[in-house]
Amino acid sequence: MDPSKSRDSAESTRVIQFPNDVLERILSLIDSHRDRSAVSLVSKAWYNAERWTRRHVFIGNCYAVSPQIVARRFPSIRSVMLKGKPRFSDFNLVPPNWGADVHAWLAVFADQYPLLEELRLKRMTVTDESLKFLARKFQNFKALSLLSCDGFSTDGLEAIATDCRHLTELDIQENGIDDISGNWLSCFPENFTSLEVLNFASLSSDVNFDALERLVSQCKSLKILKVNKNITLEQLQRLLVRAPQLTELGTGSFLQELTAHQYEELERAFIGCKNLHALSGLWEATTQYLPVLYPACTNLTFLNLSYAALQSEELAKLVAHCPHLQRLWVLDTVEDVGLEAVASSCPLLEELRVFPADPYDQDINRGVNESGFLAVSLGCRKLHYVLYFCRKMTNAAVARIVQNCPGFTHFRLCIMKPGQPDSQTNEPMDEGFGAVVKTCTNLRRLGVSGLLTDLTFEYIGQYAKNLETLSVAFAGGSDRGMQCILDGCPKLRKLEIRDSPFGNGALLSGLEKYESMRSLWMSACKVTLHGCQMLATQRPRLNVEVMKDEEMDDGQSYKVYVYRTVAGPRTDAPAFVHR
Amino acid sequence: MSSSSSSSLPPCPKKMITLKSSDGETFQIEETAALQSKTLENMIDENCASTPIPLRSINGKILAKVVEFCNKHAEVGVDAESLHAWDAEFVNVEYTTLFDYILAANFLEIPTLLDLASGVVGDMIKGKTPDEIRKMFNINDAFSPEEEEEVRRANQWAFE
Repeated sequence: MDPSKSRDSAESTRVIQFPNDVLERILSLIDSHRDRSAVSLVSKAWYNAERWTRRHVFIGNCYAVSPQIVARRFPSIRSVMLKGKPRFSDFNLVPPNWGADVHAWLAVFADQYPLLEELRLKRMTVTDESLKFLARKFQNFKALSLLSCDGFSTDGLEAIATDCRHLTELDIQENGIDDISGNWLSCFPENFTSLEVLNFASLSSDVNFDALERLVSQCKSLKILKVNKNITLEQLQRLLVRAPQLTELGTGSFLQELTAHQYEELERAFIGCKNLHALSGLWEATTQYLPVLYPACTNLTFLNLSYAALQSEELAKLVAHCPHLQRLWVLDTVEDVGLEAVASSCPLLEELRVFPADPYDQDINRGVNESGFLAVSLGCRKLHYVLYFCRKMTNAAVARIVQNCPGFTHFRLCIMKPGQPDSQTNEPMDEGFGAVVKTCTNLRRLGVSGLLTDLTFEYIGQYAKNLETLSVAFAGGSDRGMQCILDGCPKLRKLEIRDSPFGNGALLSGLEKYESMRSLWMSACKVTLHGCQMLATQRPRLNVEVMKDEEMDDGQSYKVYVYRTVAGPRTDAPAFVHR
Repeated sequence: MSSSSSSSLPPCPKKMITLKSSDGETFQIEETAALQSKTLENMIDENCASTPIPLRSINGKILAKVVEFCNKHAEVGVDAESLHAWDAEFVNVEYTTLFDYILAANFLEIPTLLDLASGVVGDMIKGKTPDEIRKMFNINDAFSPEEEEEVRRANQWAFE
């Protein structure tokens, strides 16, 4: 026997046993959740090395696990991302006081993670007491991000500004916040220098501008600054001169009279911002002062105009200076003509969101329609994310759009008036969405709208093999529609349905499916309390929450929220939540 | 790490240390290069280095590479970029050899080598399934199916 060969085979069966500290050193280099999950399954030793080296944890549903379970498994967490209410709370479909209060989490973290540095909350309830507790308990706290949260006021922010001495990030976005006063911004200590991210664009009170200016001057590492609309152009100019290093800027209001000299100074300040790649704010921006932005547009990759009701010509002139744009958010005041300008100016565009300036305005002569979307799909072949609120749409247009851009991963088309058919043929929109799922094989998120029969859902179930999130409103004909989704779509994680004719038969057809999904939301459908009870009985590891609206009249339509959990039933459910 | 002792007591030029591998090979290394190893530094400080230093956990093939690494990193006037390229080539080896580098660097306490090899192994783990990782490391003490199912469920339900 060849001795070298036998040595090789001994080599290949040699068990590698790293000392714990070596294994931990290697695993501390692994960041992604997917890799960490895989590592934790390798063996007991690896499971332990992984849990001791885990610094960041992502929790997609705060009721899928308890803070105690998290703390027991991961003793050394520094950073937490925690999500609370179902997404339809964005449309006020989740009753007030439903839950997702962060306080129970903070109490455990204070005990177990005194070195916590970072907390990112989405759709959680956060009281001022919680913010004060946070500011007091975590000496090394650095980053707070609150997105679509509620329950707090600017008093809570005062505590954060006063006590978090090492704060690098304060990011307050789209919250239901009680804006008592702008005084919180004056509470940062005199010698405070660590801030890198400050976003208070969604607050409404005046802040003390001197305090803001001092803060911006002192914090030399400030990269992201998004102010609210109370900040004037003159004040913006003073801030930009002090922070030319900014990479992301959210301006205040553009509605102001400037002298020629002031205009020049503002323009010079924008010329000085060489690193800007994201721009937002621009409240009330008009043709008059938009040109001041042009010099700063060359390197922009993200332009968020969702607060600026630009007309088509204004948008056309602006995007002509943005050749590198990858992401664009606009209001539908730009109309189809505005989008045609985007198509010819922004060949690198990957993401487009068009929001309705007035969602209750049913006039189909305003807003955007199929021709704008079609133009963008022709001019921007890298487009793969779209959220598009429109007045009317045709199957033929949708089919051509996905032919032009087959790489869509996110396709959220919202024809605003419920139940609208194809505006040319009067047919249902089934074939359009059928074309989407047949053509876009990488589709992960889909939002459907318009007049839809069960056929749409047959197509989705059959073709959308990578679909993870599906949103349905005012659609479908019978239980069969929802059954097709649950039988197909092997990667489905989130299904949210409102105002659709799906009943118990549809709900119970997913018995095998729901444990592989993060959540199911159904409101104003045909599910009954009995159906929900059957689901809960047959799948005890699912939490099945049924909410009854007070003004409900037909006795049939409940709000149902179903999710898997390793923590058992929640203990903080309000009385209107039945289990 | 070694800077305090080497600055207080500068080593004589070209003072050589002899290392002996588990399979009896001996290697000469300059003391300045050897001082990158905290373990060797301690032995040299304690004056135990007059005779060959026996390293019973490291075989000749690996020890030769470790000596080569230390020599390269002790060279004067190598710019960062070319050293980086050299390092990349040095760790461009079978993963079983990489594991030996890690074990040797851990025993000898050579942080530069340990970080370098650990980084490569960390990158190799990324994107792999638990089974692929087990195969790579020849790990036999896997969870029982029930235990594995429980961990898998906690991962998917709570933390993804």
